[in-house]
Amino acid sequence: MRISSKFVVALFLSIFSITTFGAQVQEDPLERQVLEIAKELRCAVCQNQSVAESNADLARDMRAIIREQLQAGKSKPEIEQYFVNRYGNYILMKPPAEGPGAMLWVMPALFAVMLAFTAFFYLKQRRRGSLPTAPTLSAKDRALVDRARADNQ
Amino acid sequence: MRQPRIVSTTAINLIELGHFSAHLALVVALVQGLAPLLGRGVREPRLAALSINAAVLVFILTSIGAVTLVHAFLTSNFSVQYVAQHSNTILPAIYKFAALWGGHEGSLYLWVWILTLYTLVVAWYGRTRYPAHVPVILAVQGWIMVGFFGLILFLSNPFARLFPIPSDGNDLNPLLQDPAMAIHPPMLYLGYVGFSVPFAFAMTALLTKWKSELWVGLIRRWVLIAWGFLTTGILLGGWWAYYELGWGGYWAWDPVENASFMPWLLGTALVHSITVQDRRQMLHTWNIFLTISTFALSLLGTFLVRSGVLSSVHAFAVDPGRGAYILIFMTTVLAVSFGIFLAKGRYQEAKEEITSFLSRESLFVWNNVVFALACVCVLLGTLYPLALDALYGAKITVAAPYFNTVMVPIFLVVVLLMGIGPLVPWRKANVERLGQRLLLPVLAGVIAAIAMAIFMRPLHWTGPTALGLVIFALGSLIVDYSRAVRVRRTQMRESFWRALLKTVSMNRRHYGGMIVHFGILVVALGLIGSGLFRAESTVTMARGDIVEVGGERLRFDDLQELRRDNYAALQAKLTLIDSGRAIYPEKRRYPRQQEFMTESGIDSTPLRDVYIVLAEPAEGNRWAVHVYVNPLVQFIWIGGAVILSGLLVTLSNRRRALKASLSSEI
Repeated sequence: MRISSKFVVALFLSIFSITTFGAQVQEDPLERQVLEIAKELRCAVCQNQSVAESNADLARDMRAIIREQLQAGKSKPEIEQYFVNRYGNYILMKPPAEGPGAMLWVMPALFAVMLAFTAFFYLKQRRRGSLPTAPTLSAKDRALVDRARADNQ
Repeated sequence: MRQPRIVSTTAINLIELGHFSAHLALVVALVQGLAPLLGRGVREPRLAALSINAAVLVFILTSIGAVTLVHAFLTSNFSVQYVAQHSNTILPAIYKFAALWGGHEGSLYLWVWILTLYTLVVAWYGRTRYPAHVPVILAVQGWIMVGFFGLILFLSNPFARLFPIPSDGNDLNPLLQDPAMAIHPPMLYLGYVGFSVPFAFAMTALLTKWKSELWVGLIRRWVLIAWGFLTTGILLGGWWAYYELGWGGYWAWDPVENASFMPWLLGTALVHSITVQDRRQMLHTWNIFLTISTFALSLLGTFLVRSGVLSSVHAFAVDPGRGAYILIFMTTVLAVSFGIFLAKGRYQEAKEEITSFLSRESLFVWNNVVFALACVCVLLGTLYPLALDALYGAKITVAAPYFNTVMVPIFLVVVLLMGIGPLVPWRKANVERLGQRLLLPVLAGVIAAIAMAIFMRPLHWTGPTALGLVIFALGSLIVDYSRAVRVRRTQMRESFWRALLKTVSMNRRHYGGMIVHFGILVVALGLIGSGLFRAESTVTMARGDIVEVGGERLRFDDLQELRRDNYAALQAKLTLIDSGRAIYPEKRRYPRQQEFMTESGIDSTPLRDVYIVLAEPAEGNRWAVHVYVNPLVQFIWIGGAVILSGLLVTLSNRRRALKASLSSEI
């Protein structure tokens, strides 16, 4: 009895090891979706980390919530909205262009236009100064030029 | 079992000697700042020249302070509060040394020590070459020293003592126990503080109406040196983040990173616009403005990181000591320097005019526009959320996705300008000839972009655009270089290889710069590859399991425990099936730390990194493992090395430049 039970255990183990050895593991497809959404959300208790990168408890909980909601068939915007409703826009890694976040999207464009205009007018002004002024002709010279033109025609 | 340590009395005396020296240094720095002003007032140049002696003395005194602090760390003198907070007896000696700048007080001390070092060099070089101006330069630097010594000695003193003396110290942050991190802060500070030299020159120029032809050539080397150290510091920071932080990336647009990136951006603008002034005697006022702004951003960078304002705006704002001091110091520096600039900035008019919109000098102006824009955008994204929080208590997140959206288009313009600029001559370009030269690079760029769009199916429009522009810029570098080589071969009848070398060595200033450009393009390729084509997977694995990520097959082989001097670790072994090489990611536990630290395992080839993080145990003897395949990451570090070598080539130009200036004077 004893020997046979040992044998059974050994056999079981060997089968087990055969089945696990070299098994190709694949990423849980849901995990990828969870991380895609988690990347867009900020870990509220961390410094400048997304929920996908952080190991904080809060981030772990948030990933679990995202997973639950994905399993319940919710879409990415719906899940993001769920977190925005609870934490406000602060939770989004990319600030939306509304409220105080609007400045962040308007100002760079404004800066670009301002700097470009300044540089353009600087160059234009400096260039105008460098062009030689047209010589003023005396009456005698003008007559000569006019005569030459008339001859050409 | 640790025995309570008995601190020898000599150690105690040493640290107090250092403390005393630092106080003396403050006094001497005050002399250094005041003497030239008084000397000018009473028209006594010998009084002004006292600042040179003061600069030497300040350096010696500050060094004594630094040496005693290092001694306290190496001998584990825990009666010094700063040592007790940042070091312990089992820390390896190298990190005991590096712990000197592991915290707030010590890093400020390192900052000011580097400032005294630069000041010493300026005094040494200047005392014979520009004796009339050197006292004023030293005075400006002296006042900055006074500001820093005030902060160090009265509000965050590394020499402060502790009683009763603890038997052992705390720990240096384990993230900092890494060779790259040990030298990252000194490099960064050599960069930041390096910009104080051009700043001091610019202020001196304003105060003494120093003709810009005479001083701009002098600061060019200082700007390049500071830029080089800052670049090294930033690259080391990225390298460290990549190897140590375990999220597979190297740049997170973290405020701490932005703090060092802003002076880098303006410093880059400065490197270029100084060239314009040197060659075409234009942009004096703008250069002074840029110089002041770059140093102001260096100060801002130091304080952003070191004041604690980033972790909590409110803690900073209500701290009656440090916060207020830093705000007042920054405001004073800005008000005084920009005030003097506004009052006296236009002391000199440009001599030459711009001939054409399509000229090297005009493109340099556009380069400055783009870098200034980049800097302003980073500044906005870094400070706006802080200001919003401080003023209205409103919270907003400005992180990597925002910066990527805003900054990537700006960088694309930078690469575009980099492709055109070097082929455009000074004064006025011949449009037809320029078109001929640009034809091949443009074709190469377009073909590369189309090929990527068709064959590699990137997820984002920036991929093909960026690759096209980088190939275009590479093409125009090759066109520029090969044309110069061809000219040498026909005119000097040199062999191909000799012409190849001589082209660079006879014009180090230009081709050193072109090597830097080449390095930047190599970095850009690395950014494109790792930014847009990364493959990643998170799987739970048991022994023997195999996973395939981005075409790499990995087998989880083993898991074992390790013990080291300063930590204990759990080390996994994963084997790349195709090459048979093994990768060893770890989970480490340092004494006195609550959390486990992850130590990523990396297998690098020039074309890709396989980057593995051991995440956490899962049920059934399995482990959650993050696997990243990052293409072309190595290009970033290789490109960095190319940039620095190019910089050295440019800097090695000196003797020839001196001879040339001498001969032109004769």
